[in-house]
Amino acid sequence: MSVTLTLHTQPEVPLEAECLSPDRLATLDQAGIAALPVLHGNRNMTVGDFFSVDGGKDLTVRIIGDLGRVKHVATGMSGGHLIIDGNIGSHLGLGMSGGEITVTGHAGDWVGPEMGGGRIVVRGDAGHMVGSAYRGSKVGMRGGEIIVHGRIGNEAGNGMRRGMIAVAADSGDFTGVNMIAGSIFVLGRLGARSGAGMKRGTIVSLHDAEVLPTYSYAACYHPVFLRHYLLRLRQLGLPVEEAHLGGRYRRWSGDSVELNRGEILLFAG
Amino acid sequence: MGDNIKIIENATCTFCGCVCDDMHLTVDLDEKKITKAKNACVLGRAWFAQHGIPDYPQATIGGKEASVEDAVEEAAQILAEAKFPIIYGLSDTTCEAQRHAVAIADLIHGCIDTTTSVCHGPSGIAFQGVGESTATLGEVKNRADFIMYWGGNPAESHPRHFTRYAVTTKGLYTPNGKKDRTVVLVDVRKTPSAPVADIFLSVKPGRDFELAWALRALVKGRKLDPSIEQVTGVSLATLEDLVDRMKNCRYGVLFFGMGLTMTRGRHFNSGAVLALTTDLNEFTHFVAKPVRGHGNVTGADNVLSWQTGYPFGVNFSRGFPRFNPGEFTTVDTLARGDADAALIIASDPASNFPRKAIEHLGAIPVIALDTKQTQTTNLARVAFITATYGINTAGTVYRMDDVPITLRKAFDSPYPTDEEILTAIRRRVQALCGGPAVPLRKVS
Repeated sequence: MSVTLTLHTQPEVPLEAECLSPDRLATLDQAGIAALPVLHGNRNMTVGDFFSVDGGKDLTVRIIGDLGRVKHVATGMSGGHLIIDGNIGSHLGLGMSGGEITVTGHAGDWVGPEMGGGRIVVRGDAGHMVGSAYRGSKVGMRGGEIIVHGRIGNEAGNGMRRGMIAVAADSGDFTGVNMIAGSIFVLGRLGARSGAGMKRGTIVSLHDAEVLPTYSYAACYHPVFLRHYLLRLRQLGLPVEEAHLGGRYRRWSGDSVELNRGEILLFAG
Repeated sequence: MGDNIKIIENATCTFCGCVCDDMHLTVDLDEKKITKAKNACVLGRAWFAQHGIPDYPQATIGGKEASVEDAVEEAAQILAEAKFPIIYGLSDTTCEAQRHAVAIADLIHGCIDTTTSVCHGPSGIAFQGVGESTATLGEVKNRADFIMYWGGNPAESHPRHFTRYAVTTKGLYTPNGKKDRTVVLVDVRKTPSAPVADIFLSVKPGRDFELAWALRALVKGRKLDPSIEQVTGVSLATLEDLVDRMKNCRYGVLFFGMGLTMTRGRHFNSGAVLALTTDLNEFTHFVAKPVRGHGNVTGADNVLSWQTGYPFGVNFSRGFPRFNPGEFTTVDTLARGDADAALIIASDPASNFPRKAIEHLGAIPVIALDTKQTQTTNLARVAFITATYGINTAGTVYRMDDVPITLRKAFDSPYPTDEEILTAIRRRVQALCGGPAVPLRKVS
């Protein structure tokens, strides 16, 4: 029987609920889930103080309500399916290694920070630092997929090592900053200074963009691998048009102040 | 002027981050005011002249005069009951007071943040991410032959920076002062600091990151397209000449200001100039220092760093310090409506924060400590008027180069010090929260 949590009391201050992860809830019955600890500001509370719990012992979990103030949901998630029916606060899927999270509303900052696997799908917009490294950490997302159907904020993929971030609309500044490897697809417009400090990896945009002076123009060509990626993104529901699949892309290589082995591919028609 | 005159030699000015400690103050003890401040700059003279003894109640609760004891009790109750309390300010008080603020944040499991988060906070993030090649201003004075100011206007904001520390001052290896130095200024417009510069680079607004990145590329020997001039406003030939000077200097210093940290790119702008400094150390000795504003904002960074491990934007909700600018910084916790109580020390966020943050500040119980009535003390549930640091209280402050300097008191104030109020609040909060009985330093 799947698990459904419905928010009945809106937290007055930020609520930290890393226990709300399918793999953790799968071993617990209704009472066990309601008794799990959460942190309401600086007070120890339980899941039951904020959510009504229906069902138990299942890897499919649905959370209903505006969870904009609820942070750290699905920290370290390793499997199962979490559906968030509404908005979600920051640090969603922190360090997750497997399973899938679907958010029907908007997500706060730090979606999938330092995640190693699994998939996060956000139907609305996501905040800053999507798939990023935490402050003081050199490595961000290490694997998995983050799909955002709206816009994303600044510093997406900061320090990203592996995996994929795909965004249907625009990205903020410093997309793919300090990227070590991995792939970022922005179907809208790239923010300023994308790829700053990038070592390797690929940033793709379906629009033209200003690139940093430390990038050099390489060629205008049709990268064969891109068609496969874009078809996959189309399967996932992102608005990829036929022209994008077979079109030509301007390739900029950089960042020359680092390894100079990264690339920014900009759709040229 | 009365007959009861006192001369204080080698006093310290705490107006700006220069923290000049060569003031000669003439104090009229009858009038309780400083009548002359020899060696002070125009800002320092105004600082000393404007601080007399105000005629405010020592404490108020809900706008009505109250005893300090009652106000401390009310403040402690507010903080102990709060679920997401925040502490903010701290840049215009002593390190001794700052210590107690950190202890209170720890006891009440709240957030602690300083005015650093709205000035050089991005530099704090950059120090953590990139690293800092640093020096004292004494080293700069004695050794530096290449001085670069980026995104700052010291002639108006830190008037003695040029004469006492960096440009015209004569040092051990710079016996001819300015003649032994090359001075470069990078800014979006010609400010009153420009005449002192041998080279002035007029960067296009919002293009500092591109300029720093281009300099990094040239230092590393990479080729740049001449179109860099359209991007940054500075020609490739000028950049190449600058890089040549930077690589061939004996001891270079890059001072950077809020023109870098508070424009688009923020911590990446600071990080870019810090990385540029690191790159230059392949060729010569080069250091970078932020030019700090408030008198003891550097002390606030130091106290928070040595007590929590992080310089600002620290949260203790879980009982241990966590650092996340944007999440735990005060503008953000207020604008999002997260905070449910605030302790503001020596700062006036109600007059300079974004409207949304001020609105929330007006909706929650606020405890404010300041030397005068401000918009923040006016909206505060509990307000304390305290003695001015460096004028009415002794203590320790940190100069912008992280050097601690001891303050000398000029004359007594009837008002309690920040340290005394915070110690009392800490003691009461400790009793209310049942925290560990940490021995407190005796306040003189």
